Amino acid sequence: MAIQKQYYRRKKVCKFCVERIDSINYKDVKLLSQFVPERAKIMPRRISGVCSPHQRRLTDAIMKARNIALLPFATE
Amino acid sequence: MRNYEIMFIVNPSVVEEDIDKINTQIESIITAGGGTVAKVEKMGKRRLAYPVNKNRDGFYVLLTVQATGEIVKETERRLRVMDSVIKYLTVRMDEEIRRQEKIKAHRQKRALRRSTNAGAAARPAPEQSIEE
Repeated sequence: MAIQKQYYRRKKVCKFCVERIDSINYKDVKLLSQFVPERAKIMPRRISGVCSPHQRRLTDAIMKARNIALLPFATE
Repeated sequence: MRNYEIMFIVNPSVVEEDIDKINTQIESIITAGGGTVAKVEKMGKRRLAYPVNKNRDGFYVLLTVQATGEIVKETERRLRVMDSVIKYLTVRMDEEIRRQEKIKAHRQKRALRRSTNAGAAARPAPEQSIEE
């Protein structure tokens, strides 16, 4: 290998694939809030490691949850 | 007929009986149009993530219904008119339900296949997620 990394970085895995979470529901605030950090923005994939099909569903669910005031749009 | 979930938030100052009254009203709208109400769930009072019409709390109600677009339209109109309802959300669920069933069937098939040739196959097949 040409470039040797100096430290070992753990490979990120999609939480939903690994734990076999089928439904990403907008009512599941506990699950969704894991993916909204302090500023209430949606966590990007490069940080959370969620795969793109699941990220899409996750975004959808978070947006629905925001609409019905289960999750904030922004923190004051 | 499609599956929908209608969730709405009632003003927290409204007493419990009035919430029941609202529920029966909404139910009657749906059944009058030919739909069915599968479940009415009062999720109770909880804190809102952000203030809505200066309310910090709200009483959540969730309806699981089978209805047509027309009925949903009418229900939403009624919810909008009601003063005590501060927010509502309708979500179509039939695609989600179908997806779940597909995944379930897929998993069952896989489990069956694995159990039949469990001895023969020394190495398990690599996991792959199914997503359309």
